[in-house]
Order: sequence, then C-alpha cells, then structure tokens
Amino acid sequence: MLLTLAFRNLWRNRRRTLLTLSAMVVSAALLILALGVFSGMFKDMLASATEQYYGHLVIARPEYHLRRDLFAHLPADIADQLPLENEAEITGKSPRLRSFGLLSRPETSQPVELLGIIPRMEQQVTSLQHQLTAGHYPTEEEHNGALIGQGLARKMKVKPGDEMVFVTQAADGSIGNDLLIVSGIFATGDSRHDNNLVLAPLPWLQQVLVLPGRIHEVAMVVADPMTAAQIADRLTAALPENIEVLDWGDLLPEMREVIAAYDVSRMIVVTILYLATGLGILNTFFMSVMERTREFGILMAQGMRPWTIRGLVLLETLLLGGLALVIGLLCGAILTLYMQQIGIDLSGYITSVTYAGGTILPRLHAVFEAGNFLVPAGMLLLVSLFAGFLPANRAARLDPVVAVRDI
Amino acid sequence: MSLIKLKNVSKIYRLGSQKIPALTDLSLVFDVGEFVVLAGPSGSGKTTALNLIGCLDRPTAGQVIIGDLDLQSASSRQLADFRLQHIGFIFQSYNLIPVLTAAENAEFTLMLQKVPKQIRRQRVSKLFAELGIDGLEGRRPADLSGGQQQRVAIARAMAAEPHVILADEPTANLDSHTAEELLELMRRLNREKGTTFIFSSHDDRVISQARRVIRLEDGHLAADITITA
Ligand SMILES: Nc1ncnc2c1ncn2[C@@H]1O[C@H](COP(=O)(O)OP(=O)(O)OP(=O)(O)O)[C@@H](O)[C@H]1O
Ligand SMILES: [Mg+2]
Repeated sequence: MLLTLAFRNLWRNRRRTLLTLSAMVVSAALLILALGVFSGMFKDMLASATEQYYGHLVIARPEYHLRRDLFAHLPADIADQLPLENEAEITGKSPRLRSFGLLSRPETSQPVELLGIIPRMEQQVTSLQHQLTAGHYPTEEEHNGALIGQGLARKMKVKPGDEMVFVTQAADGSIGNDLLIVSGIFATGDSRHDNNLVLAPLPWLQQVLVLPGRIHEVAMVVADPMTAAQIADRLTAALPENIEVLDWGDLLPEMREVIAAYDVSRMIVVTILYLATGLGILNTFFMSVMERTREFGILMAQGMRPWTIRGLVLLETLLLGGLALVIGLLCGAILTLYMQQIGIDLSGYITSVTYAGGTILPRLHAVFEAGNFLVPAGMLLLVSLFAGFLPANRAARLDPVVAVRDI
Repeated sequence: MSLIKLKNVSKIYRLGSQKIPALTDLSLVFDVGEFVVLAGPSGSGKTTALNLIGCLDRPTAGQVIIGDLDLQSASSRQLADFRLQHIGFIFQSYNLIPVLTAAENAEFTLMLQKVPKQIRRQRVSKLFAELGIDGLEGRRPADLSGGQQQRVAIARAMAAEPHVILADEPTANLDSHTAEELLELMRRLNREKGTTFIFSSHDDRVISQARRVIRLEDGHLAADITITA
C-alpha cells in the first residue's frame, strides 16, 4: 500500500512530476549519448593508431623496441614458436622487417620508413587495404610491389605502375638498393604515415637488407584492446629473456594517459550534470512535502512511524529515479544506436586531427560501452536517493501537532 | 475503570520569547465507555487537551497516563505505535488522504497494523454499512460531501477498534442537520460497541447531547458536569 500511495502521490501533481522526470530523462539520455560519442572518438583514435601501423601488441627484442637496432632481429617463424596459449584472443599476427632509407626517382628522393610484410598477414593487423586511393594492395605474387602513402606519392610524383629505387644500409655493411613498383597508394589522414610509410614484400626487403629468414617484430591484434596490457605481461613472462612484448599503451603512452584521464573525467562530468538534476529533484520534493504537511500530520496521528513517513518520501523519489533511469537508458541507447549506425559527418567543416599518437576523424559516431550506461544509471539512483533524503527527513520530523493544524 | 488520567497537566507554547499557557494545572480522569465533550470558547485549550490525550504531544508539566503508559518517557516512535493500537483521531475537516479511495482511507490503520487484506475488507465494508456510506468505497475524498467525508473518517478511526476516539470539532464544518446525524451515529457506536468518545465543540446543541461536559476557560477547568439520566 505504501507503494500505491507513493505512486499516486507522484501522479497527483502530474505536470510537476513529468517536468522533473523529463529533466532527469533528458540529462541521462544526453549524458549517455555524449559518453558514447566520446568513447567513439577514443576508439577511433586508438583504432587509427593501431590499425594504421602499430597493432595492439608487438613482439621484438628489447634493443629493437629501444633503438630500432637493425641487428636486433628474430627468426621469421618466431610467432609460431611462442607459447601463444591465448590463440583465441589474438586475432591477427604479422611478421615485419623494418628499414629506414631513401626512396629515389630521377628528379627527387625522400626519406622513408619501409616495412617488409606478408600481405595476407599484415591485412589481419592493419587496415590500409581499406584506405586505398589508387591501385591495389600488393599481392604475394608481385615480388617488388609497394604500397605508399598519398603524401609521399605526391612528393615523388608517382602513380601505380611507376618505378622507384629504395636505398639503405644492409646488414652486411654494403649499400642495399633495389627497384620497387608502385602497386597502390593509401591515405589514412595521419600525415606521419601518409608522408613517410612504404609497405613492400618481406622477402624482397630481406634480400635488400641481406637478412634472409629474419624479421624485426611481430605485430598482433587482440579482440579487446583493453586487455592488451594483461596479455603482453603474460606473454613476456613466458618468453625467453631477450624477447619482449609491448602493448599499445607502451607504444603510445600519451594515448594510454588520455584514455585513463577519460575514465576520471567521465565521473566528473556525470557528477556535475547530476548535481543540477539532483537540485531539481530536491526542489520538487521539498515543494511536494511542504504542500502535504497536513497529510503527513494525519498519517502520523493514525500512528504511522516517522521512519515509515521517511520511507514513503524516499520511495517516491526512488520511483521517479527508477522510472527516469529506465526511460533515460532506453532513450540513451536509441540515441547511441543512431549515432553508431549513422553518425554525423563533419568532414565538410573540420579536417582530421592527430593527437596523442592517434587520429581524431572528422565525424561524430558513438560506440556502446557498458560503463557509459552503468555510471549514469548508478549515479541517477544515488542522486535520487540523496535528493530525496532531505525532504524525507523534513517530513519525518514534522511535529504532528503543528502538522494537523496546517490547512 | 479509569482509562486516561491527566495529573496536574500544563502546556505552555513558546512563540519566540513569548510563552503562551494553553493549559494550566489540569487534572481529569476518563473512564472506559464514556461519551465526553470538551466545551469552551475559542482558545480555551480544547485542541491542546485532545492532542495530549491522543499522544500527539507531550505536556510541559504534569503527567498523562493512558492505561499503563506514561507519555513522558516515550519516544516518538513509541507514541506512534501507541496511537496506532489504541487511539482513533477525527479532525475538523480534511481528514482523509486525497489520493486514497474512501475504503483505502478507512483501511489505512489496519494496513499499518498489518491486518490481512481480506479481514480489512470485511471489517471496513461492515463499518461502511453501519455508517450508511456503503457504495462509496471506491470514491476519492474530493468526490464526497463533507458529511460523507466525516463518516469515512469515523470508519477509519473505528476500524482498528481503538480504546478511545478523539474528535476535534468533528461537526464544525457541517450543516446542523448533518451534524446531528453524525453525533447520533457516534452515540450509537458508543452505546453498542462501548467505544470511548472524547470530542470538542463549542456548539451548544452538540454539547447538550453529551453525558459529560468538561468546560475549559483560558486553559483552566471551569466545570465538569456529568448528567445522570
Ligand atoms: N502551536 C502553537 N503555538 C503557539 N500557541 C499555540 C499553539 N497552539 C495553540 N496555541 C495557543 O494555545 C491556546 C489554546 O489553543 P487551542 O487550539 O488548544 O484552543 P481551542 O480551544 O482548541 O480553540 P478553538 O476553539 O479555536 O479551536 C490558544 O491561545 C492558542 O493561540
Ligand atoms: Mg481547537
């Protein structure tokens, strides 16, 4: 009956209740949407960094991680020898050999970073194959087909089918050089890659560097990037002394900071927004309690205990909070879904921004993340409870003599 | 058998630095089954006395003893529980909870006492029939006349079968015909069920119906007359 009473009391001043309710629903729904968009942005940033270049995990010798030491190489089949007991979590592995050198044409030459890769395997880790602007991704059959960044292609004035010469220092001390043919051109939006990166077949680079059967690193991707650090620690512990696994947080420390700061700022934003919502609830329920002074007096005269009166008012606020929660989560989910499926394209207004090692794309798009729902939901209930407590106390402490006199 | 005792009871209200003596050195004894009216002009202390008897308030000095409970030492929760078990209240007007139907209002004390629903329903519909308001169970207070509302309030006060029903000017907002009917009803319940009624009034026609009249003036006992038929 207390529940019936609470429900009807809420329904009594319909307009006020609905106004308070809609304020709560709107703040919860917009908050969920905003958090979803933020998460989407961070996910984009992380994905751009990992999908364009790094991968989530990188196996290499410690000296290679530190200094890109040409001689800190590993056998090409290292990934198969490792105790990768988490096969299920690791969804892609790409062995790579890396070289820094000059790319030359008769008229011009540019410093580049050249990655020797196996196309089939590299495509499991990075997604440059989806960012082609011309030509095609090098196939296994083209023994010297190269994929190069758009900025670089522009400076070199090349198009698919054109020839270039790559010059670098080989492992035996000689000058290695050989011919490359442009297969395709990619554009990621990140100028560091677009102006500097070249992908070529692994066997070709092994031959140029005189490092047959050797690689520098294995880049890997996992299903959930947030578990990468744990997997890296587990793998490193199981590997020989001279091999180390770094996760994207080690490779992109600023990105890790930004994402950690997001978790904190999410709490702060939620708290500030809900403080305002809480004041609204507080105001509504204070008004409602004051208006019902005589009723509380009558309830007390009937023998209702102060704690039951307190419970009644708290129940009303919690009912309102619960209702707002359900509707707010629903609306938030719908908005998030819309922004996930469709999103808003801002490329007409802004260009992509590179920040903390990742690229923020010129689009608003949301992702679902449990925390973006749980934090607003939990806080909404907490705020309702707190905002209800003062008016509830007020009602419970009314002097019945004064209360019944009040008409 | 004495049910309620007031021993040298005083009540002083404070309004800022001002002290308002509402009751001064009042001693009274009420027995089981009495039908008493507290009479007196406005401001004489009738409401104050009823609130003290009803455990709604504590005296400034003196003792209020009901059965074997001494009010002085009771917590507000104990007072609430005591009211729930032993006392029924009827106020001058706006007695009912507007969001509950007539039947739900009447069942309210029984609900607080955790009486099962079935028994609640039975008792309340019997009372509604006795009070001549059967058929109005589903109506909200706003859809009832003043007299009907007061009858529902009586039903609520009676439902838990308390030892004493306190009514503060229950007829003040009713026309004289309805007031007489209501009074007659209370007398009948007093006769048939032995429920003690203590009510206040300054209406002479109402006062003339009582068997015992306690007259207050400026918080003092002016007269205590029992009419023996
Ligand atoms: N809460 C209060 N604070 C201050 N003074 C009060 C309070 N309640 C009552 N009084 C004063 O106490 C005195 C007695 O009041 P009480 O209400 O008991 O009289 P009453 O006989 O019921 O009057 P009425 O017939 O008008 O209802 C009055 O002078 C009144 O002003
Ligand atoms: Mg009065």
